Amino acid sequence: MKRYSQYSVEVSDFSDVPFWKKASFMDLVYVSYGIFIVILVIGSYIVGAFDLLPYDPHEINLELLMAPPQSSGHFLGTDFMGRDILSRLIIGIQAYFLPGLLAIAIAIILGTCFGVLAGYWGSGFDTIITYINNLLNSFPRLVLILLMVAAFKPDIYYIMVIVGITNVPVVASLIKGKIQFLKQKYFIEAATALGLKNRVIIFKHILWHNCRSILIIQATLGMAEAILMETSLSYLGFGVQEPTPSWGNMVQAGANYLMQGKFWPSTAPALAILFTIMGFHLLGDGLNNMLERRRNK
Amino acid sequence: MKRLPSVLLLIFFFTFTMMLPQAGAERKTDGKPDGGALNYGEYGRPATLDPITSNDMISMRVIELIFNGLVGIDEKQEIVPELAERSEISEDGRTYTFYLRQDVTWHPKEGEDPVPFMADDVIFTYNIMMHPQTITSLKVRYEFIESVTKIDDYTVEFKLKRPILNALAKFSFKIIPKHGPENPEFLSREDPFVQKPIGTGPYMLKNITADREVILVANDSYFKGRPHIDKFAARPFADQNIMSQALLFNAIDMIVLVNHRDIPQVQGDKRFVLQPYNALSYSFFGYNIRNPLLADKRVRKAFTFAVNRQEMLDSFFQGQGTIISGPFAPGSWAYNLDVQPLQYDPQKAIELLNEAGFVKGDDGIMVKDGQKLSLTLKVPIEKESEAVKRVVLAFRNYLNKIGVDIEGEFKEWLSWKEDVFLKHDFDIIFASWVFDDSADISSLFHSAEIGPWKNNFGAYSNPEVDSLIVESKLTLDHEKRRTINRKLHAIIADESPYTFLWTLTNYAAFNKKLRRVAIHPYKFFSFADDWFIPTSEQR
Repeated sequence: MKRYSQYSVEVSDFSDVPFWKKASFMDLVYVSYGIFIVILVIGSYIVGAFDLLPYDPHEINLELLMAPPQSSGHFLGTDFMGRDILSRLIIGIQAYFLPGLLAIAIAIILGTCFGVLAGYWGSGFDTIITYINNLLNSFPRLVLILLMVAAFKPDIYYIMVIVGITNVPVVASLIKGKIQFLKQKYFIEAATALGLKNRVIIFKHILWHNCRSILIIQATLGMAEAILMETSLSYLGFGVQEPTPSWGNMVQAGANYLMQGKFWPSTAPALAILFTIMGFHLLGDGLNNMLERRRNK
Repeated sequence: MKRLPSVLLLIFFFTFTMMLPQAGAERKTDGKPDGGALNYGEYGRPATLDPITSNDMISMRVIELIFNGLVGIDEKQEIVPELAERSEISEDGRTYTFYLRQDVTWHPKEGEDPVPFMADDVIFTYNIMMHPQTITSLKVRYEFIESVTKIDDYTVEFKLKRPILNALAKFSFKIIPKHGPENPEFLSREDPFVQKPIGTGPYMLKNITADREVILVANDSYFKGRPHIDKFAARPFADQNIMSQALLFNAIDMIVLVNHRDIPQVQGDKRFVLQPYNALSYSFFGYNIRNPLLADKRVRKAFTFAVNRQEMLDSFFQGQGTIISGPFAPGSWAYNLDVQPLQYDPQKAIELLNEAGFVKGDDGIMVKDGQKLSLTLKVPIEKESEAVKRVVLAFRNYLNKIGVDIEGEFKEWLSWKEDVFLKHDFDIIFASWVFDDSADISSLFHSAEIGPWKNNFGAYSNPEVDSLIVESKLTLDHEKRRTINRKLHAIIADESPYTFLWTLTNYAAFNKKLRRVAIHPYKFFSFADDWFIPTSEQR
């Protein structure tokens, strides 16, 4: 997990120049690639959800096992049960899409709460929250997830709850740092002096005006991580179970045939994972550079 | 016609060595060169290396190289003498006397003189095997023995509770030394002996390396003559894909069981031999008859009709096997060839379900009295999960087509075993049985075998089957027993407590440098002491 440290930021930045004009070219490339991937993922999700697929992803065809790409109307070929790989790739998005959003929601909401508590009200909460953070950080996440799987059952939603919870400290510490920094600023002091309620200061002046970019960045990175978690667990056989497709279990099933020169059943989902995770990461990176670090200049 | 002389020659050599067993204990007299090493790929690490507590095929194969029984069973399922020179059976068929060989010694411990093999060892082995605290699957098989007595140092006498058919073959259990186990009463898996076994066989355990490779070296004083190949090494592979590749790149010389999907690859390579052997095993879908939905034989039969077994066999196993119809291992004398496997017929399956009172609901799932025909299928996650996964997915697909909803659940081996054999919490399982030579199915279908940790997991019970099983066990007439078993086969095939699938042809693959390779159907290495590698090809 990458952490983005906050540099000294000039808060009251009222320049009229839109941020994308100030961004570097590479950041723009990153972000547009990232947005393209996000649109592709959401678009594929909708295609899958409305059942507009080229083939039924569960239809087994024993006459056409491991057909190579472009053969018999299968764009990416078929897998070890003769099922269409393209359709399964598209449906495979469902394996992480909603669970991933759940993980993000948990991380963002809880992380913000803890961050605000620690940052705004200071020492007492701070100590407790630092303690909880350390506790969570000291526990390897994969071990925690495997324990969870062993105790309950290999359900992707349980797993994503854990992923979300383990991401809480990251978000919390970012928010905390930001608030501690903002608190020294005059506009907060002014708002307090004007008698604004804490609620208003926190939600409007701190979170909405000054923290939303952090949260957006964390959400994109969180999604990348949720995908990685889901695919690696499904690859190990603990995540999404056959016959429901997931990119992870597709790679796993295809890997058995790699040695025989039949590369497509594992390569197609592997590339999908690569490009998607790269997209989310670059989006997060680019946004971070544009929205947060721009003010350093 | 040109082949004939060489075959004759081989037979001649064989009989020659058989006739002169006393001349052994030194070199073999067949003129074949000694030397060389054989590395073979295994599916995992053996848990224990003693013949009593072991129950997996990996251990069994190593044990076959280290130990001997009183008698052995040859390729043609005939009994041949091993540690016992000869045996006598009393008139009433209840007393078996074994005259032991006097030239056999145990593998020597380091720096010690070899200990001779004697009658005490046989009695010791029997006592340990039957001790209540020894956990072994062998106990049930030897309950027919009443007592063992030592006549003198080289003669033992077994008394049977009742005469049974083909009892001599059962004395093939492996003998362990009296000075072997630390605990002289019973054998547990904690005893150091199970990791450092001492036997009489052609190979001795040298060591187990850090990565769990089992290294065996030739026993110079083996009573059948020193084996030709100097060293055997069992190398465990976690990933089967790598195993076939390792063979192709000469990292190993032999695979005991080639993955069916790799067969074409090995077959196309002239450097290797692909040798089939029959494993006396079959795969099946077993039903839990405690579930009222499955209690109706028509439902179970409908499932069998709905499954296209030939298509699965052809697609997933390159057609390397035979579809079976009944409960006996095909290739055993008890199998009834007159009972034909049911042909794939989904229409017939639907008719049978309708007959049993099921009608198609709105969602396409069959319903009877408001109860959906929706079942869970529990499958153990095995090493060979790829083919298993394929079969299970195809099975679900076939049954979905006739309106049966199957929920698949892959479980870790031990918890699967607990669910199936202890809690009986399942509707359908996918598994296989491996048989020994006895063709005994009483533990699978007799109603007395219903209960925790017993083999009749599906609670199948039919008084007619029960009485036929008992009758078959008691009879001493081989022909009569055969008739009874054929009848049993027909009844069980009709009642379908399982959907019998197939028996697969197993293939061993090995480098051409290995010569005179004969493979025992399920013990595998029984004849390994005769294998050899020509001097020019030893590296």
